[in-house]
Amino acid sequence: MDIKTNKIVRLTLSYAVIAFMFVIILYPILWVFGASITPGSSMGSFSLLPEKTTWGHYAHIFNMEESNYLLWYWNTLKVCLITMAASVLVVSLMAYAFSRYRFWGRKNGLVIFLILQMIPNFAALIAIFVLARVTGLVDTHLGLILIYVGGAIPMNTWLMKGYLDSIPRELDESARMDGAGHLRIFWQIIMPLAKPMVAVVSVFTFIIPFTDFILAKVLLRTPEQYTLAVGLYQLIARDFGSEYTTFAAGSILIAIPIAILFLSFQKYFVSGLTAGGTKG
Amino acid sequence: MKLEYEDNKEINTGYQSNHRKIAMFLSFIPGLGQMYNRQFIKGIGFLILAASFLTVFWDFLDIGIWGLFTLGTTLPRDNSIFLLVNGIISILLLFFAAIFVFIVLRDAYKNGQKRDLGHRLNSMREQYRNLIDNGFPYLILSPGFFLLVFVVITPIIFVFTIAFTNYDLFHQWPASLMDWVGFENFKKLFTLEMWRSTFFNVFAWTLVWTFGATTCQIALGVFLAVIVNQKELKGKAIIRTVFILPWAVPAFVSILIFSGMFNQDFGSINEILASTIGVEIPWMTEPFWSRLALIMIQTWLGFPFIFVMVTGVLQAIPEELYEAAVVDGASALQKFRNITFPLIMFSIAPILITQYTFNFNNFNVIFLFNGGGPPVSGQKAGGTDILISWIYNLTMTSQQYGIAAAITLIMSAFVIAVAVWQFRRTKSFQEEDMM
Amino acid sequence: MKKWLGLFLALGLIVGLMAACGPNEESSGNGGDSGESSGEGDSQSTEGEGSSEEQPKPDKLIVWEDQDKGEALEAAAKKFTDETGIEIEYVEYNITKMQENMALDGSTEKAPDVVTMSHDGVGPSVAKGYIKPIEVSDDVLNKYTQSSVDALTYQDKLYGLPKAVETTVFIYNKDKMEEPPESMDEMYEMSKTAKEEGNYGFLATWDNFYFSHGIFHGFGANVFGESPSEIGLNSEAGVEAINYIDKWYEEGLFPEGLLSKNAASVVDRLFTDGDAIAVQNGPWAFQNYTDKGVNYGVAPMPDLPNGEPQGTFMGVKGWFVTSFSQQKGKDYWAEEFVKVVSNEENAKERYDMTGEIPPLKALVEDEEWVSNNPGAAAVMEQSKNAVAMPVIPEMAEVWDPMKTAVQSVATDKTDAQKALDDAVNVIKQQIEANY
Repeated sequence: MDIKTNKIVRLTLSYAVIAFMFVIILYPILWVFGASITPGSSMGSFSLLPEKTTWGHYAHIFNMEESNYLLWYWNTLKVCLITMAASVLVVSLMAYAFSRYRFWGRKNGLVIFLILQMIPNFAALIAIFVLARVTGLVDTHLGLILIYVGGAIPMNTWLMKGYLDSIPRELDESARMDGAGHLRIFWQIIMPLAKPMVAVVSVFTFIIPFTDFILAKVLLRTPEQYTLAVGLYQLIARDFGSEYTTFAAGSILIAIPIAILFLSFQKYFVSGLTAGGTKG
Repeated sequence: MKLEYEDNKEINTGYQSNHRKIAMFLSFIPGLGQMYNRQFIKGIGFLILAASFLTVFWDFLDIGIWGLFTLGTTLPRDNSIFLLVNGIISILLLFFAAIFVFIVLRDAYKNGQKRDLGHRLNSMREQYRNLIDNGFPYLILSPGFFLLVFVVITPIIFVFTIAFTNYDLFHQWPASLMDWVGFENFKKLFTLEMWRSTFFNVFAWTLVWTFGATTCQIALGVFLAVIVNQKELKGKAIIRTVFILPWAVPAFVSILIFSGMFNQDFGSINEILASTIGVEIPWMTEPFWSRLALIMIQTWLGFPFIFVMVTGVLQAIPEELYEAAVVDGASALQKFRNITFPLIMFSIAPILITQYTFNFNNFNVIFLFNGGGPPVSGQKAGGTDILISWIYNLTMTSQQYGIAAAITLIMSAFVIAVAVWQFRRTKSFQEEDMM
Repeated sequence: MKKWLGLFLALGLIVGLMAACGPNEESSGNGGDSGESSGEGDSQSTEGEGSSEEQPKPDKLIVWEDQDKGEALEAAAKKFTDETGIEIEYVEYNITKMQENMALDGSTEKAPDVVTMSHDGVGPSVAKGYIKPIEVSDDVLNKYTQSSVDALTYQDKLYGLPKAVETTVFIYNKDKMEEPPESMDEMYEMSKTAKEEGNYGFLATWDNFYFSHGIFHGFGANVFGESPSEIGLNSEAGVEAINYIDKWYEEGLFPEGLLSKNAASVVDRLFTDGDAIAVQNGPWAFQNYTDKGVNYGVAPMPDLPNGEPQGTFMGVKGWFVTSFSQQKGKDYWAEEFVKVVSNEENAKERYDMTGEIPPLKALVEDEEWVSNNPGAAAVMEQSKNAVAMPVIPEMAEVWDPMKTAVQSVATDKTDAQKALDDAVNVIKQQIEANY
């Protein structure tokens, strides 16, 4: 086989694999969309293009009288944004300390936390609930945010530290010569350079509240406080009268903004994650 | 233990007095030693700190420690669980207090030593500068550190202590108190036949699941990244976009959707299979097929993350490496095996470890897909239950908190052991000193 | 390092000293007073009827109502508030999740004062100390059927007042079936015919023991004998029953897709879409079927092949007073509310709104009412053969193993005798371990 046919075969096979993956990825997503415009509330075999279509489920979830969906959306966004902002701040500061300073506990501190974090914190569900109860944070978004931020610290700090290590130290040294203080170096030199990684950490922490439903389910006690994950789960986790189609409509409306977020941050993922990874 | 900028040289000669010991002894009441060293402002500051700590927390500590030992004596006043949590928080507070006392003692000793040697003590201003310089990393670490202590560490300690109590359906507020029972729960777990067999079955599947699912998602991610990274391939942007989608759609949505699609009689997967190859697979009722479905689903959910990481690595590999290999007459496969793969592994090994631990604890996919089912005759957990989902069921539905905590403890010990062993092997954690 | 050692010794000493003290009588511990500290742990309500003047009024009572039943509560709550000035706040929870939620919320200010539960929750709730006995005069009690009062009585104490009685019945689509069948055999043949036409005949989720108890009981297998340690489910009669159930799955009359988490909603869908002729379901489903526009009829469950009627499980939903609040007088008013919400007038209104059938003698014996409400009448008719669910907490251990047994037999994993032996074995071990 000469090189040219070899190449053609290779590319054809590649395209075939990619096409196959496209089907596998897109089918469930289109299926959900099909379900969301199917009349009725039942779960069944939905086709991608149902014979009868309806936008009623979307109308239903946008109707504040009938459904709490918009409220849940607002709750989730609130929790997401605060979690993201707090995490980025705490994580950046910690990573900065781990990357640039020498102090007692630096060598093993991060690894210990990383390992401890492998014990999933909801194995301690009851503990978390009781702690929240003692501190009066049950049924508050603040309690949930604190848990999310705490849980996000180790992994993200570690990624961030890897990235900061790859920023040359001469920069801070020269700034120090010019008389810049600790925090000024952090804000004006390090942070702007670490933008790709900040973006990555932002996205990672932003999606935590969208993915977790179990902590939220235990901690949030009233429907007005639910996040989307809990609220939507309640729609279909009932003994009877599950509303699959409404659930599907609600899911589509969550997936679209997050997908857009991900896609717009795509280039940061590629550069940020690997710079952090290659130089641990 | 060594702080920088500190000359820790013990000089055995040249002491003219015993200030260092006196100052240190006096400092058991924080601040006195500093005053003895004539650093009045610092001394008063320490004293105020110590006094306010005691006045604010005295009652709390008192109740906390008492509760930790007794777990309550009278109903309905005492709620054992709250007493336990307060006790743990008290111990943590005392621990912080001990660190504070240690710093104070050390400071008194150091300055006493300086006086003994006839050196001049630092002025307030110098001390302040020192504090800011040396304390800066601690200052910026503290918010994260406190969060970690309360969100990650305290719950873990709490669960570990629960494992040694009889906390269950019949020992909870308001009906009764709970007690410390030592290793009773662990005994139950290993001596009662049903518990033991269930535990080992679940544990075995947990390992299979962790390795199966994670390895599949890594393999697929690497494979696709390499394919898409070929120079001649067109439409890279759209392909990468689509490949990120499974990661972008919130997992709980995808899993619930799959749960519907895999239904035996009403799901589209079997409809497709029936119309193409004429078989219907019992996805939800046979443990084997359920497990296979779960591994496929997790692969679908997990490969994009790996795909993105590896794509980044591939773009960073210098072209010269490959050119040199081509000159040496290496085939595509050889190039992959000797250049690409080692570089990928080197770069993302630490991330891979976290992927394995993530799946070890991947509650969502197990719980939402089939609730740990299908049931298995003669055991207490479902056919696809992994340790974490089993613990959840024991906690939330049958309220066997004690046993659940014991299982958590065993599981954690295992995870920590594996993780420590792994981390010691990867290069990224062997830090070189940089300053 | 010596310094550290000394420090820890000192710390240990302090801890040891503190453990010896603890709360003095004045310090209110943390027994989860619902926000208001009572100061006294022993403010148990005085037994007997205090007149309402002596009982301080709380501002509000928190009531937990079943899902989608809130409107019926609102009407009764309004009357109660008008009369007493006490606000009623209510939260809707799925009635099967009440225990789980009380475990979480019991110690918070969101703790309910009044809950509704099915009577099988009485045993466990008493064991956990969640609910209190109530005092009701005989002329109030005489308004309810004896069986419903008995169901809410545990260890010779009455714990609640009946809200509704329910048992599963035969619901059929009148457009597809003129008259309900005389026997299950007849239904079986119809199902076969329907299957040949590509539809379903009769559907039921018999892997759920709540629905299949009628079969077991009809064949002569009982859950508990004289004591909870005697379990009769794996007797010959039990094997016969499970084989009969299996017959429906073997022939494909019940699709295996019914053996999944969302079986109940699948059955509902097939019935409301007109793909199934008849289903076994409870009165809670009537509303949904009416809303979906199904022209349905209701009848008692058809007799089994051995000529016996099906002894379905009867559940009595009741209103209960919880023991979470330590506030003086609160439980008195909670009890008052229970009496108001379950009185004749409000119970009838509730039926009109939600279709929940109150076990009031006046209604059962009122021929006109019975003829106007065929759905309710069928439930009453079926109740005559129904068996009240065991009230003992041990019953909680029966559901899951029985589900496992039916599923393993239906999917041909194990034979009937072994599946039942396994299930009974698990139940017995669980009971031994936990009770």
